[in-house]
Amino acid sequence: MSTKSASPTAVFDLDRPWCLDRRVAVRPEPFGALLYHFGTRRLTFLKDPTVLAVVRNLAEHPTARSACESAGVTAQALRAYERALATLAGSEMIRERDDL
Amino acid sequence: MAEVTALGTEQAGQATAIAEPIGPVADEALLADELLVEEISIDGMCGVY
Repeated sequence: MSTKSASPTAVFDLDRPWCLDRRVAVRPEPFGALLYHFGTRRLTFLKDPTVLAVVRNLAEHPTARSACESAGVTAQALRAYERALATLAGSEMIRERDDL
Repeated sequence: MAEVTALGTEQAGQATAIAEPIGPVADEALLADELLVEEISIDGMCGVY
């Protein structure tokens, strides 16, 4: 088993609507959560419970930014969460919603 | 006697130096602490439950 801290490959837009990919299973853990994508077979650790709250909030909020705010992410911490969401988007754990 | 003491001190100093992380590794550790997600590759791990 190899570990890597994946770096986001693209700029993540906090002001777009996002959601968890339907092929992703979420397993909450005391440290945060495990995400498993049945399509890509990727496993990702969420190392903070707040990140889990953000990911779970995504589908219910008009933007990723508001999902972060709803989860209690401060302005100072937002950049770190933006980076985390970009990593998740890069690994297809989350995707942009096609809200019409 | 003094020589032995000096050697002991030297070795203690070396041990301390080895225990301390070098600059790039320490910086990398700090960077890792800031990351909120970590991807794990499990390819090829058949039969792992």
